[in-house]
Parts: sequence; structure tokens; C-alpha cells
Amino acid sequence: MTEQRESWWGPVALLMLLLAISMDLFVWQVSGGVEFSSIVERILLGFTLAFGITSFALLVVSIGAIHRHVRWKEQVVGLFLLAGLGLSLSNWQMNGSWDAMRSEGVMLFSGITAALAAVGLVFGLLLALVTGREHVPDPLLDMESTGGDVSVELDD
Amino acid sequence: MSDLSDPWIGFWLPIALLCLTIGFWLTDRKDSRRKISAVTFFVSILVIVLFGAETRGGDSSETALLAVLLHMIVPVSLMAIGTLIATFSGPSPVGPLPRGLRPLGFMMAISGLVWIGLMLMSEPPDAIANGIGETIWGAWVNVFLSVLVLVSALAGSFCIMMGDERNKEATTLAMLTIAGGWMFYEIMQNGSEGLEASGWHEIHWEQMMFLVGGLIGSIVAFMAFIGLVYMAEKRAPDPDVVSPLTEEEKAVVDAVLRLNLELEGSEND
Repeated sequence: MTEQRESWWGPVALLMLLLAISMDLFVWQVSGGVEFSSIVERILLGFTLAFGITSFALLVVSIGAIHRHVRWKEQVVGLFLLAGLGLSLSNWQMNGSWDAMRSEGVMLFSGITAALAAVGLVFGLLLALVTGREHVPDPLLDMESTGGDVSVELDD
Repeated sequence: MSDLSDPWIGFWLPIALLCLTIGFWLTDRKDSRRKISAVTFFVSILVIVLFGAETRGGDSSETALLAVLLHMIVPVSLMAIGTLIATFSGPSPVGPLPRGLRPLGFMMAISGLVWIGLMLMSEPPDAIANGIGETIWGAWVNVFLSVLVLVSALAGSFCIMMGDERNKEATTLAMLTIAGGWMFYEIMQNGSEGLEASGWHEIHWEQMMFLVGGLIGSIVAFMAFIGLVYMAEKRAPDPDVVSPLTEEEKAVVDAVLRLNLELEGSEND
């Protein structure tokens, strides 16, 4: 039983992967397919833009939270370089159009809010269901603390 | 005020300011920046609201996003408030609400999902009916349903794997998976009111794949950030060796210990 509990994430991750692939295959079937290269292109564009925006957001948060004990140089300079790299790459992918970057950035925000709403609904319901479970009263919980004083009776 | 209609000033600057606010909020309680974090937060929200009020749905993608979020605020609020009511009216010790409110909480949470379903069956408002607004709204719904199906399947199977007869939890989450899957099937097969199935397919292949890449990109950026912090901490010099206590310091420690032990002894008596 212990071994089964340790390996729970394997089958669950596989199920999620299968579901995701099934949903894509279904859309593939009803839409008549799409160029695979365009899918890869969109994924790469999303990757670089999200990488740049997230690094920039973390850079601004880090600058806002700098204090005298933090080793900020590596953090700030590193994040500045990463944000610059991500944003420059995505700008190059969009042929230097800042307006296109804005639109795609907005799409990222839309996706984040939608994903957060879905995750919030599922885990909110799960929390409500789990906390609503009725348990058999545990006699140990009714016992009062002795404040550390323990008397032991030894049988002869 | 007219500058506020510029998306760089009216939308992206407040977003950056919100990130700065998080940084300020993370500082020490005595730090002055902690105190001004509330001000920067409200200023950012105010600028975004003014930007939304000054522009119209078709003006820019940022305004269209605000219109989409405004339309989604009711169902999302229903889901959030419903789950909170259901949680805090349960039999757990942290349930201060009356038990009778629990079914209402579940009903509110599910009605949020039903609301989104009804939005797909009714004519969308102008701000999200055409152009970029329609694409952003379509992407929102597509991501919401996909994540709902995947995460509820994950949570439901997790309940089964954990055992302890969590059948009720697993069944509820399975129903959520089926409801989300059915809505996803319907929009991809038959389309929705105002947006044909081909439009949903285009949104799926263009925006959904973009957002999958975005998810991976964000995770990699967070991992790179953790790597930077690790590098910085690893390069930090070792702290100086602390010199042993002098005789005078030892006497002070000894006196404090004796005092405390005597006090504790007298309390026990």
C-alpha cells in the first residue's frame, strides 16, 4: 500500500497527458488538421514572450524588495539580462512590431486569468468537499494535557 | 488625462507598478516601502480603471482584455464566493458559517460554470463579439475549459489514488471533468452563438498553442530566477568565526540562567 501511495503521480500525470493529447487529436480531427510547423512557431513565440515578461516582472519585484542583507547584484543583473534576451527574441520573432508584442502579451494575461479561474474552481470545490468529511470522533483529541507531569505505575 | 488612453501608460505602466507593489509589500514591516505599497496598489488600479473608462472595446487589445475580464467577473465571483461559503459552512472547526449555507455555496460555484455555458449559447456583447475582443474571449473560454478538464481529472484521480473512500469527492470532480469536456466538445464541433466552429479551431491552434509555450516559458523563467538566487547565495562569503565568550560574558550568561531557573523553581513550588 505504501509503495502504491509513493508512485501516485506517475499514473495521474499519464492520465493528464493522455487527456491533453486526446483533446488536441479531437480538435485536429474536426478542424481537418493544421501545419505542424505553425504549431511549433506559436509555442516558441509564447515561450520567448512569457520568458521575457516573467523575467521582467521578477526583476521589478526584486528591485522593489531590495534590502541591505540581500545579494542583489547577481539577481538584478541576471534578471535584467534574461528579460532583455526574452523580449528581444520575441520582438525579433514578431519582425520588430511592438504593437504585436502588446497584443500577444494581452493574450498571455487572458490565458493566466482563465487558468487561475479554472484551478481555483477545482481546488476550491475539492477543499470544500474534503473539509466536509465527517470523521469518527477521536478519543485522543478529547484528552486534556497534563502540562508535562506524568506518573508511571510500574507493575511488580 | 488624454495620455491615459495610451496603452503603454494606461495599462502596461500600472502592471509594472503592481509588480513593484509586490516587491514593496515583501519588505520588512518597519520599512517605509511597506507602508506605501497600498498607495501604489490603489494608484495602479485607478489608472487601469481610468484607461478602461477612456477607451472602447475596439480601440486596443488591452481594452478588449478589460472588457472580457469585466464580463467574466460575475461567473468567476460566483465560483470563488460559492467555494468559500461551502468550505466555511462545513463541519470542520474552521467553519464559522451556518451549516445550512453549504448547499448554497455548492450551487453558487456550479452556477458560475453554468453561467459561462449560457454565455456560449447567447449573442456576445459588442466589445467581445468581433476582432481582437472575440479572439481574447475565445482564448479565455478555451483555456478555462481545457484547464478545467485536465485539473479536475488530476484532482479526481488523486482522490482515488489516495484511498480512504473519497468517492464523493472523486465523483464530483469527475462530473466537473465531464461538464467541461462536453462544453469543449460542443464549441469545437458546433461552435457557439456568434463564433463558428472554424473560429474556435483557429483560436485553439493559434492561441492555445501560444499559451502552452507561454506556460513553459514562465516556468523556465521562474527556474532561472531560483538559479540566480542560488548562485548569489553560493557565492556569499562564509560568516566570520564567532570568538568564544569572555569571562565577563560567561558570568552574565550564568547569572541570567540562574535567575530563570530559580524563577521556574519557585513557580513549580
